[in-house]
Amino acid sequence: MTFIIPIGPQHPALEEPAHFRIEVKGEEIVGVDLRLGYNHKGIEQGLSDRSYAHGLYLSARICGICNSTHSLAFTRAVESAAGIECPDRARYIRVIDAELERIHSHLLWAGVAAHEIGFTTLFMLFWRDRELSLDMRELLFGQRIYASGTYLGGARVDINEKDIPQLIRTLNKLEKSVKHYIDVCTSDRTIIARCSGVGVLKKKDARELCAVGPTARASGVDFDIRRDDPYAAYGEIPFDVIVEQDGDVLAKVVVRLREILESIDIIRQAIDAMPKGAIRTKFPENVPENEAVGRTEAPRGELMYYVRSNGTNKPERVRIRTPSYANWPSAKPMLVGGTIAEIPIVVASIDPCYSCTDRVTIIDTETGKSRIVTKEELRRLRK
Amino acid sequence: MNANEVAQLIKRYADDVKIAGVRQVFATTDKERYIEALTALRDKDLKHLTTITGVDRGDVIDIIYHVHCGESLLNLKLSVPKTDLEIETVTDIFPGATLYERELMEMLGVQVKGHPDPRRLFLSDDWPTGKFPLRKEVKK
Amino acid sequence: MIEALSYALAYLVFPGILFAGAVGLLLAGIDRKLTGHMQNRIGPPIWQEFLDVGKLFGKEDITPAAANSFVFNCAPLLCFGAIMAVMLLLPINSSQPVLTSVGDLIVIIYLLNIPAVCMMLAGYASGCPFGTIGSSRYVVQLFGYELAFIIAALAAAANVGWSLSLSSIVSYQAQNGWMVSQVALIPAAIAILIAAQGKLLRTPFDIPEAESEIVHGSLTEYSGPKLAILRIAYDIELFVVAAVITVLFFGGPVPHTIGGIYIPGVVSFLIKCFGIVVLSTVIRNIAARLRIDQALKFFWTFPTLLAAISLFLVVVT
Repeated sequence: MTFIIPIGPQHPALEEPAHFRIEVKGEEIVGVDLRLGYNHKGIEQGLSDRSYAHGLYLSARICGICNSTHSLAFTRAVESAAGIECPDRARYIRVIDAELERIHSHLLWAGVAAHEIGFTTLFMLFWRDRELSLDMRELLFGQRIYASGTYLGGARVDINEKDIPQLIRTLNKLEKSVKHYIDVCTSDRTIIARCSGVGVLKKKDARELCAVGPTARASGVDFDIRRDDPYAAYGEIPFDVIVEQDGDVLAKVVVRLREILESIDIIRQAIDAMPKGAIRTKFPENVPENEAVGRTEAPRGELMYYVRSNGTNKPERVRIRTPSYANWPSAKPMLVGGTIAEIPIVVASIDPCYSCTDRVTIIDTETGKSRIVTKEELRRLRK
Repeated sequence: MNANEVAQLIKRYADDVKIAGVRQVFATTDKERYIEALTALRDKDLKHLTTITGVDRGDVIDIIYHVHCGESLLNLKLSVPKTDLEIETVTDIFPGATLYERELMEMLGVQVKGHPDPRRLFLSDDWPTGKFPLRKEVKK
Repeated sequence: MIEALSYALAYLVFPGILFAGAVGLLLAGIDRKLTGHMQNRIGPPIWQEFLDVGKLFGKEDITPAAANSFVFNCAPLLCFGAIMAVMLLLPINSSQPVLTSVGDLIVIIYLLNIPAVCMMLAGYASGCPFGTIGSSRYVVQLFGYELAFIIAALAAAANVGWSLSLSSIVSYQAQNGWMVSQVALIPAAIAILIAAQGKLLRTPFDIPEAESEIVHGSLTEYSGPKLAILRIAYDIELFVVAAVITVLFFGGPVPHTIGGIYIPGVVSFLIKCFGIVVLSTVIRNIAARLRIDQALKFFWTFPTLLAAISLFLVVVT
C-alpha cells in the first residue's frame, strides 16, 4: 500500500517553496510528482515592458545566487542583436565576476548539502568560507550578493590595482580550505555512506533528459558552455572541465568542489592577462530589429537568453531558460527507487534554484494587475 | 559540429539558413519537415535540446527549437498561424522537452498533440482556461 | 509522616524534579555552547534551554484535529514521569538510591524505554505523515541500540556476581576501583557509549527526528507546553543515561580525595556525567546522519559485538 508524503511547499529541506508529492512504500520511493510555480514573479513579461538598460537590472534579480550570469547572458544576447562588441578589459572583468560568483554559489550549495545530510558542523564551516568569497565580491564590485559587474557595452566598475593583492591573498586562503574539504568529503565515512551510490543519474538519462551543468558533468556528459561556446574572455584562458563518471551525489559534490579550484585558477590567470584600457563602449538606446541568443555557463549549468528586438528601446520578447528549469526532469529517475532519507540530498544535488525556474507571471486580464497566488488560495482550490 | 556543418545538414529540411556571428545558425522550417529535421539532428548524436521558445507575432506564433550542436547552436524556427495552432510533440525525439512544451501550451495556447503529461506547469489551478499570459492581446 | 515528607522532598527537589531539571537543562545548554564553538561560531549562552522551555510554556496549547487527543496529550506526561522515576532509582548521593526496596537494573532499563515507546505512540497518534515515518524509524532504531545497551549493562552486572542491584555495583566499584579499570569491561563501556548515542537520538543516530527530512519526526505536531515538557524530558534523559553509564562503568557516586581535596560523591558523579555528555557532543559534531538501514546494520555489528565480547570475557574469567 503506497503512502503519499508531501514535501513542501514549506519544508526544512527546501529553501524555497516547491511541492513534491512522493509516493512511498515503507521507506522506498515509487513515484514522484513535482509542482512548481510558487515563486511567480513575472520576469519574461516584465522584461518586454522595460528598456534594455532597465531590463539588465531586472534580469539580475531573477536569482540571488546567479545574478552575475543572468545579466551577463542578457548582455551577451542584446550586444549580439545590436552588433556591439565590448572592450577587451571589460571581457576580463566579466570573467572575474562570473568566476567569483561560481565560487560563491558552489560554497553555498556545499553548505546546504551538508545540512541536508545532517552534518551541521560541515555546513557551518562551508559557510564560514563562503564569507571569504563574499568579501572578495564586495572588494571588487561593491556588493556582496548582487554584484553583477556587467553593463550593456562593457563592465559596470573597473578593478582597482590596489585591491589585487588582497584578492590574491583571499584566493590562496580559499584554495587551501577547499582542498581540505575535498579530502574530507571523499574520505569521511558518514559522508560516503550517505552520498555514495545515492541518487544516481545514468549518462544515458542525463543526455536524453537534457541535463546541464554539474548535474550532467557528474554523469559523464562533457558539456560546458565556457568551452563549447566561449564568451567574454574564456576563449583565451585555458582551464579544465571537471567531469566525473559515477553520477551519484558524491560525484556531484566532487565536481562542484573541484570547479571551485578551477575558478580560483581562472581568476588568477585573468588578473595576470588583463589588458589596460576602457571598460565600456557606447551602447545605442534603440536596438535594430534582430534576434539573438546569449548563453553562459551559470554555476548550475547552461543559461540561455533569447532576445528579439524590434527597433525600439524595449525588447519584443525575451525568453529565458535557466539551468534549474532544465534539470527538473532529471530529478525523477534520481529519486525513484531510493528511500525517503535521500530526498533532501538528491533534490539538493541538482542544485535547484526555484526562483530561476518560476519566472512567469499571472496577469489578471480584467483589471490588468498582476498578482501572486497565495498558498491559502491554492489550498482552497484543491478541495 | 561547427556552424557550417550544421548549416549543411539543415539545408534539406529548412529554408533561409543564416549563420550569425561565429557559432549561431538560424533557419526557418515548416510543419511538414520539422519533425524530420529534429530527428536528423538526433541521429547525428545531437541530443541536447536547450529549450523551445514561443513568440507571439500578431497572427502567427513562432516556435523556435534551440538545439545545441557541440560547437554551435541551431535555432530552428517554425511559424504556426493562430487559426491552426497545433503541432506534434517532440518528446519522443528529445525526452527533455516535456517541461518546455507544457509551458508553451499554458503560456501561448499552442496545442501540442501527443504530449505525455499536458498539465499546467507554472500557472495556478484557478487561472481561467483560454487566457494565455504571453499572448500579445494580453499585454496592456 | 516524616518518611512521606522525605519522599516528597526527594521527588520534588533532590534528586527529583528541581535537581534533575536544572542539571539536565544546564547540560543541554553546555552541549549547545560547545557545539557552537566547534562550528566556529559563538553559540547560545548556557542557560538558553531554560529560556527556551520557559518561552514554550507561555504559548498556546494546541492539539491538531486529526490527532488522537488522548494519546497525544498523555505521551509527554508519561515520558516525563518515567524519566523522573529513574532519577529516584539511581544512586546519586551515596550507594543507596532514594527508593531502595523497589528497583534494580531491569526496572531501570524498562523505565528508560518508556519515553521511547511514548514517543512512538505519539508519532502515530499525531495524524501527520511525518509523525508516522518518525515513529516507524524510531521502532527500527530501538531494535538496534537496545540490544547493545542491554548486553553491555549485563556485562557490568555479571562482573559483580550477577547482582542486578545498583547499590551492589556501586559498592563493588568503591572497593575495587572503576569498572572500566578492568580490561575485560572496556569493550562494554565503548558499546554502551555508542548505544547511548542512539538512545538519546543524537547524530549520527538522530534519524527518527531528522530535521531536514521529516520536519521533526514524532514531535512535529507538538507545540507550546506539551513540547516544553517533552524538551525537559529529553534533556533530563540526557542526564539520566549519562548517570546510568556512570553508575555502571565509571564508579558512580564514589567520593575521591585528589591532592588533599575531598570531592564528595555527588560532585564526582556530576563531573563524570559531564564528561560523558561532552564526549557525546563531540561525536555529535563530527559525523553526518546515517540512514536507518545503515544505522541498524551498524548497531547489530559493531557495538553488539563489543558488548558480547565483554560479557563472554567476564563470564569466562
